[in-house]
Amino acid sequence: MDWQAFALSLRLAAVTTAILLAIAIPLAALIVLGRSRWLAAVEALATLPMVLPPTVLGFFLLVLLGPRTSFGRGISELLGHPLAFSFDGLVVGSVIYSLPFAVQPLVAGFASVDTALVDAARLLGAGPVRLVTSILLPLARRSLLAAVILSFLHTIGEFGVVLMLGGDIPGATRTLSIVLYDQVENFDYSAADRTALLLLGLSVLFLAAIYSKTPNRASGVRGSGGH
Amino acid sequence: MEGPIEPMWKHLCLISLALVSVVPASVQAHVSGAQAPLRVAAAADLEPLLPPILSEFEHTTGIHAEATFQSSATLATQIQNGAPFDVFLSADLSFPKRLIDAGLADAASSADSTTSITYARGTLVLWERKDSQLPPPSLDLLRSASLKRLAIANPDRAPYGRAAVAALQSLKLYDTLKPNLVTAENIAQAAQFADTANADAGLISLTSALTPRLSADGSYFVIPRDLYPPIEQGAVIVSNTRQRDAAHKLLDFILSPAVQAELAKSGLTPVK
Repeated sequence: MDWQAFALSLRLAAVTTAILLAIAIPLAALIVLGRSRWLAAVEALATLPMVLPPTVLGFFLLVLLGPRTSFGRGISELLGHPLAFSFDGLVVGSVIYSLPFAVQPLVAGFASVDTALVDAARLLGAGPVRLVTSILLPLARRSLLAAVILSFLHTIGEFGVVLMLGGDIPGATRTLSIVLYDQVENFDYSAADRTALLLLGLSVLFLAAIYSKTPNRASGVRGSGGH
Repeated sequence: MEGPIEPMWKHLCLISLALVSVVPASVQAHVSGAQAPLRVAAAADLEPLLPPILSEFEHTTGIHAEATFQSSATLATQIQNGAPFDVFLSADLSFPKRLIDAGLADAASSADSTTSITYARGTLVLWERKDSQLPPPSLDLLRSASLKRLAIANPDRAPYGRAAVAALQSLKLYDTLKPNLVTAENIAQAAQFADTANADAGLISLTSALTPRLSADGSYFVIPRDLYPPIEQGAVIVSNTRQRDAAHKLLDFILSPAVQAELAKSGLTPVK
């Protein structure tokens, strides 16, 4: 069992999920509350990473973040090192790759909140931040939870982008899914079985722990309907 | 005038699409009068050069062959699990041997059916972009302290990756360069790492270096052959093929002087 890769995957998933929430909550609120017709295009763009095959997405990122574009050069100057083949590079790749999995549940959750409540809060003078923190997020907490779980697990299982952007460096970019793939490709099936079983077992425990702590499915809807 | 016609066309397109997707593949094959194609599982380093050879093969023999390109390891696993391939062109000898040992493949046309047929040898090169600030590709580039990232293919399974590590070890550079190595899944990806300038240089196959894209972007240095064990590429026939004759014809064709000369032009060393 490659514990270094295991720890790296957890760290990558945690960092990615935190960044994704910071991006996806305002973005989803903007999509649901905003009135501009450009927001449809924004929502479409935020869903687009699901369409591209991950290795192709990884290849585009490799080109974009590489030293041959001014964007890539700017970023490596800012960080002091190139993004490709580094943990930071994987974070950038994972955020883009998992963006739809954070934005979609939040948009659906925010959209299901009763508009009467939102209008009432607005009339009482709530600004957009208050609207999100006091109305939308509490009433759509199950969607928030879904966004966290999907972003986290999608990053743990991420493979194609890491394969293209990572360069398989132990401790920096060799994640658990890469180790698992290597074990399968090297015909080391018993090691692959152990890694996969551990990964699946831990994921089930993690999910069960979270789901057991959340109230029943209807609570969010009931809350919004109780005016 | 265009108004009523346009929707009609749309309907027709949709209907024909639906029909085509409903007709079973076997019926389609029957209608076009073609036999099932010869399915060739081919190592990724053959991707630039095999398609024209296969169309030439069809031209001479009338046998239609279709190639699937993957890493040799992936193809071997797929064949072990019943993938419907007829011929396996590996980038080394270990994967064909694994299949022969498992009783899943044979090389019946050679005198000894327990070994695969070597159809070519691979050449390892050091490739670098022309616009690089570092010294031009040479052994000195490998020794240069300014070489920060060197792309290689995965040495655990990619034959060119194994050769790259062996060459670095012969040069006594492996321990120094180890922290600077970025490992790609296969030789094509190692070339991409170097071509996108994310790696300073790459140890890749000559077949990749000779592709139009890479020869336009960079230059290469042939790693001396005494620095690594030969990259012998072996071919086998998958045992439960229904097209054994066609499979033999393809192997004979690849070993023919004309095709061997073509391999040489594309970056493989002929065996005949």
